[in-house]
Amino acid sequence: MRKLLSGNEAIAQGAREAGVLFASAYPGTPSTEILETIARQGDIRVQWAPNEKVAYEVACGVALGGGRALVAMKHVGVNVAADPLFSSSYSGVNGGLVLVSADDPAMHSSQNEQDNRHLARAAKIPVLEPSDSQEAKDFVRMAFDISEELDTPVMLRVTTRICHSMSPVVLDADAVYIRKPIRPYRRKMSKNVLLPVHARRRHEVVEVRLERLAQLGESARELNRIHWGDRTIGIVTSGIAYQYVREAVPHASILKLGLTYPLPADLVREFAGGVDELYVVEELDPFLEGEIRALGLRPVGKEVFPLTGELDPDKVAAVFGIDLGGDGVEAVDEQLPVRPPVLCAGCGHRAAFYTLSKMGLVVTGDIGCYTLGTLPPLLAMDSCMCMGASVGMAQGMEIALGTAADERRVLGVIGDSTFIHSGITGLINMVYNGGAGTLLILDNGTTAMTGHQDHPGTGVTASGEKTHSLDFAALCRAIGVRRVRETDPYDMDRLEAVLNEELAADEPSVIICRAPCRLVERVPLGHPAEMEIDCPGCGVCLELGCPAIEELDGRSVIDPAVCTGCGLCAQICPFCGLKVDTIRRDPVTA
Amino acid sequence: MKSVFLTGVGGHGVLKLSGILAEAALTAGFDVRKSEIHGMSQRGGSVVSQVRYGNRVHSPLIPAGTADALISLELLEALRALPCLRRNGILLVNEQHITPAPLGRHRVPYPENVRELCEDGVETVVFVPAHAVARALGNVRAANVVMAGAFSTFAPEISVEVWVHTIEAAFRPEHRELNLHAFRAGKYFTATD
Repeated sequence: MRKLLSGNEAIAQGAREAGVLFASAYPGTPSTEILETIARQGDIRVQWAPNEKVAYEVACGVALGGGRALVAMKHVGVNVAADPLFSSSYSGVNGGLVLVSADDPAMHSSQNEQDNRHLARAAKIPVLEPSDSQEAKDFVRMAFDISEELDTPVMLRVTTRICHSMSPVVLDADAVYIRKPIRPYRRKMSKNVLLPVHARRRHEVVEVRLERLAQLGESARELNRIHWGDRTIGIVTSGIAYQYVREAVPHASILKLGLTYPLPADLVREFAGGVDELYVVEELDPFLEGEIRALGLRPVGKEVFPLTGELDPDKVAAVFGIDLGGDGVEAVDEQLPVRPPVLCAGCGHRAAFYTLSKMGLVVTGDIGCYTLGTLPPLLAMDSCMCMGASVGMAQGMEIALGTAADERRVLGVIGDSTFIHSGITGLINMVYNGGAGTLLILDNGTTAMTGHQDHPGTGVTASGEKTHSLDFAALCRAIGVRRVRETDPYDMDRLEAVLNEELAADEPSVIICRAPCRLVERVPLGHPAEMEIDCPGCGVCLELGCPAIEELDGRSVIDPAVCTGCGLCAQICPFCGLKVDTIRRDPVTA
Repeated sequence: MKSVFLTGVGGHGVLKLSGILAEAALTAGFDVRKSEIHGMSQRGGSVVSQVRYGNRVHSPLIPAGTADALISLELLEALRALPCLRRNGILLVNEQHITPAPLGRHRVPYPENVRELCEDGVETVVFVPAHAVARALGNVRAANVVMAGAFSTFAPEISVEVWVHTIEAAFRPEHRELNLHAFRAGKYFTATD
């Protein structure tokens, strides 16, 4: 049976076929659907972890205990998990342990485009790179076998175009889930307790393991293989770049690498010796190119291919002077209005960012839908760096700006899931080190940006079971924040007053704004807004950036099909022309 | 090999449409690749998807200016995507304006002559009133399937039986009838054009 699967669905299928016991993840584009699919299949125990480090550590425990474990995360998530990752390389595994790193070349939904093959090399673990969904499935199974055979965690490195592209996968329609038998566990302190005296010996083991992995790469034809074609051009490639090469330079000889680290040196030398000119085609960094240069070979690589962004068939063809027959319709001359993603109509984040923008605060932001508060017209964010950074940076900015002549007020802004992920330690630091910062937690009750995954604050697990729901206010108080306020973001005057009070306070404070995500809570907040006067077109309501408000012939017009009746436009209309009957509002104490 | 570029506005069914096309091509016996970028697809931004099918397909991405068809669920997004389409390719556009969310008071206006601009440089343009058709059938969300029907006329390599089977499999029982009607309406529109 052939079935169209995305790379992420194929990885989930591979995990099922490999008899995996446990899978964990923190949501992050482009990796999120891996765990969602595994959860839907219902065979493997699944967890949404509060962050990638915890996900990886639980998986390490499962592997140590003898079960197979898969952990999935986006590329920057591996930075968070790097501490256990690097040391788990020394410990090795018992049951197989596979880390899926979903990299995002071109940064479709990320803050950087780091190439995680570097991290795997630094941790001295093997890297498998599938080039389509069939390989994504097959490589998962192989990765678990390699993991157990060579006693190592394995990185399956995929990219957005693998994760979110669909291609046919051959499936056994009758296949049932058969859990891989749990391997016996016995205490082995010299391996699993990384005291310096143990770790020194383990490092020796890791180096020997790398040699054995390189030998595996020489002989494993299902991973690394040569297609001999025209011998004037020889191309070493991997992952999605392989598909672009096949399309753009179909006649070339190709060394396709599935196990890209460690490099199979003899196979590369054999290939290089059989072609006139050697090329390396890979996205992002010259990773393979550098390894090949270290063999004393001189391939053509990043001097002709871009270091940044994604490759595509056109970029590959251009280097080889090949015409792919593009005779396209010309782009229109006039400037077209852009259509970036926007905060949804009725989103509570809009109320918060409109207020922050109006107050002229310095806002250290964070990662989530609310990062959209940066875009015009809200323009309310000064920084957004990585998960949880809003809290530490708010404290740091306060230290720096507090000594400046024109003292400016600083506010950290973070979402519920991001706060749990890595904002909590920042807040502990603020209290411990005598900061007086203010943190605004925008709690929409879900991990919204990645498609509404549950988290420890929602009271529901990845498999849909009810569980304890983290109490943000109680947690902040336990950390030592004495000023914890909760306020309704839709009441913008009240929000502004609370912000003014807390920013003026001489001690740490937290303001929690609870407003369920409109895409989850589809019940309208009120009746659609109505324009009750002849709109003079002052444009104030347009500053909300609400998709329900359109400017037509110099007047604001409300689209009743989009409007959720949140009432923000009515609060700011200077002519009191907009009216909203609010039918529902969460009761909130301030 | 046939390459189809699909575009529209997040939340309006572009990805569902490309999924139906890819499944239909697979059922018809072809190798298929489908690509999409959907990080923020529910937040009203531009959404694109690419479907390629044939005896053997490698790249999920369509080389610039080689798409055989461009299907757009919105007029402005069709304009934006035009350079993907080869000159003698087919442009199918849902006749719907969706104004981008206001980015403050100073913004680039929605082009007034969007239809004429679509017609410039493209040999075959079909404006499909998919939104109106779907509304008349009872649910505007079926506009994407109206577009699938309109496209099917230009894809004789995929039989009507395969389309019907694919659409039946793609929707819950209560939505099947509506979407089959939507498909037939779209097909009728281009077949008699």
